[in-house]
Amino acid sequence: MGFLDSILGKTRLPEAKTDRLFAISTAAVTMEANLGLLPDGQAGLCIKPMESTYYESARKEIEDLLKLSFQETGTLHAIQKDEYGYIWVVLTDPDFEDLVASIQMISQILIEQGFGTQLLAAVYRFRGEATVYWIYSFKLGSYYPFVPKSGKQRDTAMEFRLRSIMQSELPIERDMAKWYPMWGMPI
Amino acid sequence: MIRWKVDRGLEARMLLTMLLLAVLYLAFLAILVSQGVDNIIIIIFAGGFVLLQYYFSDKMILSSMGARIVSESEAPELHQTVSRLCAIADLPMPRIAIVNSSMPNAFATGRNQKNAVVAVTKGIMQKLDQSELEAVLAHELTHIKNRDMMVMTIATFLSSVAQILVRNLPFMGRGRDRDSGGSFVVIFAVSLLVWILSFILIQALSRYREFAADRGAAIITGQPSNLVSALMKISGFRVPTEDLRRVEGPVSALFIVPPLTRSSIMNLFSTHPPLEARIKALQSIEQSLVS
Repeated sequence: MGFLDSILGKTRLPEAKTDRLFAISTAAVTMEANLGLLPDGQAGLCIKPMESTYYESARKEIEDLLKLSFQETGTLHAIQKDEYGYIWVVLTDPDFEDLVASIQMISQILIEQGFGTQLLAAVYRFRGEATVYWIYSFKLGSYYPFVPKSGKQRDTAMEFRLRSIMQSELPIERDMAKWYPMWGMPI
Repeated sequence: MIRWKVDRGLEARMLLTMLLLAVLYLAFLAILVSQGVDNIIIIIFAGGFVLLQYYFSDKMILSSMGARIVSESEAPELHQTVSRLCAIADLPMPRIAIVNSSMPNAFATGRNQKNAVVAVTKGIMQKLDQSELEAVLAHELTHIKNRDMMVMTIATFLSSVAQILVRNLPFMGRGRDRDSGGSFVVIFAVSLLVWILSFILIQALSRYREFAADRGAAIITGQPSNLVSALMKISGFRVPTEDLRRVEGPVSALFIVPPLTRSSIMNLFSTHPPLEARIKALQSIEQSLVS
């Protein structure tokens, strides 16, 4: 948001940053080698809720886009609403490269269609000793780890370990106060 | 048995600090000798006092902290954890004390490996989970392993000797005739400088010992991140638990998040290195464990 905009009180949400979204695809190799973590074949795109009247048309629009996009790749997709009223595009594909490419493509299309400021996060699930999520914040333009334990607890030690080891390959959010969790995701 | 990996840079800095302290001490001894003073007696007294302090420090520290030695039947889990860590670190089992305080803290004391005590507060046992507590205990055991109590006592002794010497130097004018106020100012400035220098050096040495203990804890547990997590929790920082969707939601509240404190000048005078520096060091250990 520019200086003049803030003076004039024009609220503008920051544009979605997608340039570093791709980094996860190479990072997955290191994650498997050094941490024994494997991609779990699922990823999700979380989109901020809109006015309810707008929601149905938006949902339909996204649905059409997805159908068109996945005719060839065979990536399975589903659209869901979560308890916070956010829209989730859940993708299932055993090939991680395809999954990353799909997330990239959908977010790109959504930005072109004017949903850019509504894009909240892209989430990838990995499995190993525990389930590990890498959350990409479109606002921050960076990733951060999220390892949930039972009872809305986080395995912070594991999260720090992920940061230490993946730091050189993945753009990880430096400010840990912004590592907001996402509980009960549909992926 | 784990062989201690050597951190050359850290060793060099420690050695340099100790050397500088010794040089400081020796320089003043030289001045003393050239002045032909009987300050030796004062030093013997000081030495005796420090020796006394060294032998009774564990009891002094424990009683000043309100720590109580607990038996194996009183705290079986704590004893089990410490004895397992001692087996890895090749240390004799220390005594274990518990401090009845809600502040999260832990410390080690004792003049040598056989007379060591590891103390933890009730607060730290509540706040940390098992693996984090283990990392903290390993940190304290490394202090014992590295004989930090002895190193710091010697360093403090050397600096106190330097201070005594400065205060009692004949040209400082204690009980003697003075002819000009100018030289007094100079000497006062010098003695102040000595005090500040030795103080900073000791604090620096202490910080290096902390880094070394962090490193030891990382090696003993094999999981540097557990210590990082523990340090963060002890410092009061928590990774948020509030859901991103709630924070980013249409009706989002203002969140006041405590930032990681940064300070630069204060670092010179602190016995513990800043959290960020410790975490950074632990991260590079984590990376080296993988590669």
